[in-house]
This record gives sequence, C-alpha cells and structure tokens, in this order.
Amino acid sequence: MIPAPAAATELKLHKPGRILPGFGLTLGYTMVYLSLLVLIPLSAVIIRSLGLGWSHFWETVTAPRVIASLRLSFGASLIAALLNAVFGLMVAWVLTRYTFPFRRFIDAIVDLPFALPTAVAGIALTALYAPNGWLGIWLKPLGINVAFTPLGVVVALTFIGLPFVVRTLQPVLEDLDQEVEQAAATLGASAVQVFLRVALPALWPAILTGFALAFARALGEYGSVIFIAGNMPMKSEIAPLLIVSKLEQYDYAGATAIAVVMLVLSFALMFGINALQNWAASRHQGR
Amino acid sequence: MPSDIIAAGYAVSYTHTRQAHHPRPRPRLGRLLLIALTLAFLGVFLVLPLLAVFVQAFAKGVSAYLGAISDPMAWAAIKLTLWVAATAVPLNLVFGIAAAWAIAKFEFRGKNTLITLIDLPFAVSPVIAGLIFILIFGANGWFGGYLRAHHIRVVFALPGIVLATLFVTLPFIARELIPVMQAQGKDDEETALSLGASGWQTFWHITLPNIRWALLYGVLLCNARAMGEFGAVSVVSGHIRGLTNTMPLHVEILYNEYNHTAAFAVASLLAMLAMLTLAAKSFLESRQPQLRHAVSQPRDRTRRQQT
Amino acid sequence: MSIALRGVAKQFGEFAAVENINLDVPTGALIALLGPSGCGKTTLLRIIAGLETPDEGQVLFDGRDATLWPIRDRKVGFVFQHYALFRHMSVFENVAFGLKVKPRRDRPTTAEIRSRVYSLLELVQLRWAGDRYPGQLSGGQRQRVALARALAVNPDVLLLDEPFGALDSQVRLELRRWLRRLHDELHFTSVFVTHDQQEAIEVADSIVVLNRGRIEQFGVPGEIYDLPASAFVHRFLGQVNELPVELRQGRAYVGPLDISLDAVATTEGKNIALIRPHEIEVGAAGAGWSATVLAVRVIGPIVRLLMGAEGQPANEPLEAEISRERYETERFKVGARVGLRFRRWKVYPSDAVDHAWQSQS
Repeated sequence: MIPAPAAATELKLHKPGRILPGFGLTLGYTMVYLSLLVLIPLSAVIIRSLGLGWSHFWETVTAPRVIASLRLSFGASLIAALLNAVFGLMVAWVLTRYTFPFRRFIDAIVDLPFALPTAVAGIALTALYAPNGWLGIWLKPLGINVAFTPLGVVVALTFIGLPFVVRTLQPVLEDLDQEVEQAAATLGASAVQVFLRVALPALWPAILTGFALAFARALGEYGSVIFIAGNMPMKSEIAPLLIVSKLEQYDYAGATAIAVVMLVLSFALMFGINALQNWAASRHQGR
Repeated sequence: MPSDIIAAGYAVSYTHTRQAHHPRPRPRLGRLLLIALTLAFLGVFLVLPLLAVFVQAFAKGVSAYLGAISDPMAWAAIKLTLWVAATAVPLNLVFGIAAAWAIAKFEFRGKNTLITLIDLPFAVSPVIAGLIFILIFGANGWFGGYLRAHHIRVVFALPGIVLATLFVTLPFIARELIPVMQAQGKDDEETALSLGASGWQTFWHITLPNIRWALLYGVLLCNARAMGEFGAVSVVSGHIRGLTNTMPLHVEILYNEYNHTAAFAVASLLAMLAMLTLAAKSFLESRQPQLRHAVSQPRDRTRRQQT
Repeated sequence: MSIALRGVAKQFGEFAAVENINLDVPTGALIALLGPSGCGKTTLLRIIAGLETPDEGQVLFDGRDATLWPIRDRKVGFVFQHYALFRHMSVFENVAFGLKVKPRRDRPTTAEIRSRVYSLLELVQLRWAGDRYPGQLSGGQRQRVALARALAVNPDVLLLDEPFGALDSQVRLELRRWLRRLHDELHFTSVFVTHDQQEAIEVADSIVVLNRGRIEQFGVPGEIYDLPASAFVHRFLGQVNELPVELRQGRAYVGPLDISLDAVATTEGKNIALIRPHEIEVGAAGAGWSATVLAVRVIGPIVRLLMGAEGQPANEPLEAEISRERYETERFKVGARVGLRFRRWKVYPSDAVDHAWQSQS
C-alpha cells in the first residue's frame, strides 16, 4: 500500500507509464557523457577529414607507405585471428572437456593478454623472440626470425587475441549436448568423425564470432606490437604506428585520413560481429 | 516390403559380425596428446612472457631492481598512473551505473543503438582514441586557440591523459552491469517503491547490494585497463618525463634507452597488477558465475527484459 | 546376439549405482529394465552400450568379453530418452549418418544408402519427412527418427532409454505397440529401460526388476506379477493393500481372517500381508471381514471400491477391484456393509520395508 503523501510525490516525478524513478536523469546523463566523450570526439575525425577534400584524402590514403602499413595490419591481424581460431578452439575444448591438474589456474591465465598492459606484453615478447632471447635462440638456427619482422607482428597479435576465441567458445561448449556425440559414437563414428560432423557444425557461429573479435582487436593494436615489430616503413610498420609518426610530424591531415580508413574498417567489423552474434544466439535458442 | 529389406540386412550383418569384429583399444592417447599440446601452447605463449618479465627485471640483482623502482622518474610515473586511475574509474563508474539503470530498468526506442554506442570505444584503436583528443584540444585543434589564450593545457598534460583514458575504459563497467541488472529485472525495485522508498533509497539499499559483484568486477577490469593503457595515452601525453609519463610510457622510454633491466622492473609492477587482477577476477567469478566469460564476450542483445 | 552380464558393479563417487548384476539376455529377446528412479536401470543400459565402464564384472556379447570395447565397436543401436538427433542435419541425413561414417571399404554406395534410408523411413512411417529438420517435428516423430537412425546400421542389439518417457500418453501407447510389432518382425535383441510397469508388462518378453542397484527379480510379466520374489517387486508392480499380520494361538490372522495356510514368512517378528485389489473378494455383509464401502469409482471395465474394514484405522482404507458385471449385479453403494475375503495373499517380514516410492538417498 502506498501511503498517500508518497503516492502524490511519486506521481509528480514520473512520466506516465514509468514506475521507477530516474529515467530522465540517468538517460540524460548517459547521453551527455557519451556525446562529450565519444560521439563528438569521433566526429572530429570525420569532420577533419572531410575538410581535406576527396582528392587529397584519396592521395594520402593510397600513398605506398600507407598501403603497406594497412596491408600489414590487415594481413597480420587476419593470420593471427586464424591462428587464434584454431588454437583457441583446442584450448577451449581441452578446458571444457577434460580434467587435469591446475585446470582452474590455466583457465584463469587465459585472460592474461586481456589483463596485462600492452607495453609490458610488448617488451616481454620482444625479449623472448629477439635473436638472443629464450625462444629466439632456438629459432635462429632454423632460419626463423621473429623479432623485428612481420612474423613478430603476427606473434604479438596472436598473443593479444587468444582470450577472445577461448572465452567465446567456452560457454557454447559447456552447453553442448553430449548425448548427441554419444549417439554418433553408437552409430559407429570415430572420435574425429564425431568432432567434424557433429560438434563442429554446432560451434561454427561461436568460432566465427571469436575470430571476428580477435581480428577486430588485432587491427587496432599498438602497444604490444611496436616493440617487436621493427617498425620499418614499408616492411614492418603497422597502420597505428604510421598514424603516430604522422602526428609527430604534425601531418594532422595524413594522420586523420588513415584514422578514418581504420575507423570505417572497425565499424564495418563491429556490425559484422553484431550480425554474427544474433545468428549465434538464434541458433542457440533454437534448441 | 520395407521390413523385408531390414530383415535381410540383419541376416547379412549377422554373418559379418561373426567374422570381422576386431575392436580397438580406447583412445586415451588422443586425449593426453591434446592436453599436452594445449599446455605446451599456453606455456609458450602465455606463461613464458610473464616469466620473462620477472627474470629480466631481476637480471641485475635485487638492489638494481629496487633502485629502478624508487627512481624519482619512476615514482612520478607511478603516482601519475594512480592519479589517472583514481580519476577515470570513478567517473566511468557513475556513467556505468547511470547507463545500466536506464537500459536495464526501462523500455525505450533506440536502446540497442545506445548499447552499440557504449561499445564503440572497444572498436576504436587506442591510437585513434588519442588522436581524436589531439584534434580537439591540440594546438591546431578546435579549441587550440582558446586553450592557448587561457594558458590551459589539455593535451600533453594530465587532463588529456585522463580524457583519453576515460574514452578507452568507458564501456567496461557498463557492460558488466547491464546484463546483470537486466537479469534481475525490476521486481525488487518496484517492491521497494511500493513500500515507500525514494528512488535513491531504492538504489542504495536494494539495487546496489544486488549488483555488487558485477560492480566490483567492472571496476577491476576498468582499473586494470586504465593503469595499463598505452597507445591512447602515448599519443596524447607528449612523453614529458616526470610530468606526463604514466607507467606504461615510462617502460617504453626506459626500453628505448636500452635500459632494459629498469624497464622490466617497472613492467614487473604492472605485471603484478595484472596477476592480482586475474586472481581477483577469478574470485569474483566464483561468487557470481554469471560474470564468467562476460569479459571478452559479446553482449547478448537478444535478451529481453523480464516482464 | 546374446548379452550376458557377470558380476557387474559401478559406483559414482560414494554412490553404488549398480551392484552384483548377473543377467542373461538371449538372442532376439525383448527385455525391460524396470524400476523406480535411481535404481540403476539407465546405468546398466549405458554399461551395455559402452557409454559407461563397469568397475567390476564383465559384459559378454555372444560369449565374448566386450567389457572394454569402445562404443563405436559394439554395434549397439542406442535410442536416447531425449532423442539426441543431429539438429543441423535433415531427417534423411540423420538416418544416413551411421552409414556415411563407415570406413571406406564397408561403406555402401550413395544409391544403396538412399534406398536403405527411405525404406527405414517408410518403416517408421516418416517417408515424407526426409527433408525436414528435427526442429520441425513433434516428439513422437523425432522418436521414430531416432529409432530409424539406430536401426540403419543393423545393430546387433537395440537399447532404448525410456524411449517414450517424454511423450503424451496416447502417443506413448501407439508407439509401445508399434515397437513390439517391429521387434516381432525383425527379431533383434532389444533392451529398454522404463519406470512404467504397465509399459514393461505390455511390451517386454521378460522383465528385470531393479531396486537400489540390484536385481530383485527376472522373469516373464505374468510370473513377476503373480509370483513376486520380494515385497519390493510385489509393491512396485500393480497396486497392493498392506495389512499387518497378527499371531493368535499359533495361527496367523489378518483382521478376523485366518491366513495361516499361505503364510510364507517366518513367524518371528512383525509381518505384513500384501494383497492385490483384485484378490479381494467382496461379498454380502456376513461373508467375511466386515467392512463399509467408503467410495465407489467406475473406471471402464472395472470398478474400484474403497472400504474401511473393521478394526483398521480410518485413514487406511482397503482398495478392491471388481469386474463391471459383478458391480452391476451387487450394486454396492457408499455406506453399504460388506464382507471381505482374500483369494490370494503373500506375507513378508515387515522390516523388509522397501517401499517402491521411497526416494533414493
């Protein structure tokens, strides 16, 4: 029972139809905060680049150095995301299906790339893969140079993206109905056949989503890459680094142009990921 | 007749069974191999880098380590990092709570768009996050002239760093709170209101206790990112030693000066922060299992509000 | 193919799911594993299938020790309680699955697979559903697909785990009869798990009654119903009335009725007599134990009478079943006085308390 005075106050403060208070306040604050911090600053990039004029913009963006950096960023991110899809699937499978000592510890450590500052990851990876590093020493005689090459970029981006695939797959794997796999076994399928024909089809949406997330993260990655990359223009220079270089030379126009390209790519990816999530969710709920 | 075919099949298969039935031993080996491979992969990829940080940090002995950490420049960096986090996290906390309240407790058009907007900073490269504030507050930026005239420094100073950090860590708390608050529905709050509580009382006594684990979780992740952010801050800070260097930037400077041991020493502090974050994360997840995997996982947008 | 279990036991942690199981299933038999939930019947079925490994004992297929054979080598068809159909495959692909995953040299040609799948679908009356997906079918239809899928690879044994548990009663009845007919036509060895005694009695050649992981009795339905080996079996299959047995001057009595003739249990300690509703003869007032009719329920061909017998607590009425014809003749009404006699009964020690409805710890 609402005591009369309170009822009067409640009615005064709320729009009709909204029982809980605070809608105006919270939504207003949210919108203002978002606008000031996110929307307006992002639009600054767009507006600035619009001021360039199309031909200048195009010229800047198709300069050889820019193209090379975009190609490296895109290509290395793609390879890293693919590696993560494969290894991430393996890690998620093992963590979900099998028991072994220290499993909980290992499960926690999968989030390390997410929790570790990128600069720390950057110097640690460089120390490991440099020619005289713990791992570099083994790879050198094999002719494999990781540090200061595009390969180093791939390694760093794989490190960064690992949690995305694993964490996207784990809940799906946990929910997977094992009876279906048992049924396939009773019908004579080998373990490999069960995996390929029964488990994998159910996992595709999650794998693709994790892949896309890892890819998106890798595209914009800066801190963990610049130490191990070598940063030679045209060879091992990633796009974010190029933006920084241009800024340091006060080439705001150039920096903005490249930023716009990257933003367009990122947003396109984001929409793609949304669509993937919806697809995955509808499959999941179709059970 | 179909059953004739089936029956005939049975007759045939029966003879086959007698002849060619040789079952194989259990595939324990495959399982062990997979586990070993996974452990090896994770060991090389995750554990080794972490180990490397600490080994390198102490490469020249404990006194060198302590010296590196207590160096005045390092101290300044540590203090600045703490300041930035202490400013950015609470601000984003308030935002996160406000956004989650609006989204979880009310229906309105454009809700999905709002959620997408909140996730926007995740899609933006950190370098671009720094760039946008330079474009606004930098010397050639929108407010460049105004700021110069009033002797206010935003970029290459603390405010710029805070802004960039705010941008980058904006989604963390909101995206932890929203699903949890959505799952909890409005029942508790409506009950409190019907009993005469005010909006603030309801929030403080009813909502807050219900979301405390998710809140802590979001704060934890927000803080980890705020302290560790590199790219955005690097662009906006100007790398002025002693003034605008956060710990990650300081690590970079030391490393570029070939002072590797000192760089790793400072990095080890950040690594310890990361390990603490992971441990706290694990603990919170055991308290509220719903939080598991919410971190790097996309939000379930198809979730409907409980009626 | 015959199945034999020798000394099979399986524990889950502290809990003993099945103990000391010895069972022989001859080739071509249709056996029911019957018991309350938690009695171990599903565990036993899964041990036969290879989905669980026993801690002790052996599983023999045609005399060969198959205890450690992996699932895919056992050639058992398994139908799960919730069907476990492959959701991302059509009905056709589901049924064809077992044929498509055979090693190359054993694999039939595409044409052979097609004809076999369609003849199986026709057998389960789902030929039209070949292109549909499991999500588009009803429960009963999915169950039939699961059956067709299991039969596709000509298993030596068909195992069914509560196959009709998740279905409406009408569908359940139809499928029960249909399974029996199928078995009669094709003669595969079959074992199915159920908690429904009616189902077991109607469908199976023989019934294995399980309780708390042990076999209480193994026999044909009639045997198990008429000659139960223990109080548990007696209670679990069909209804029973339970009445305490008193010793007076060396003779055993239930109420005023002398039952010494068939008192099987020891005369030491407390005993109870179990009497089935249709084993109570209801006659005119003086013709036996005096009782009052409390309720009359006409259920199709039988009539159930609830009666308060003299000397019995009011909240423990006796239940008797009489035929419709007899009811038409006698016209028992509520409140009428009748005399009861027992045609058959069995006495057990009353500490052999193993109520079928007692929950497992």
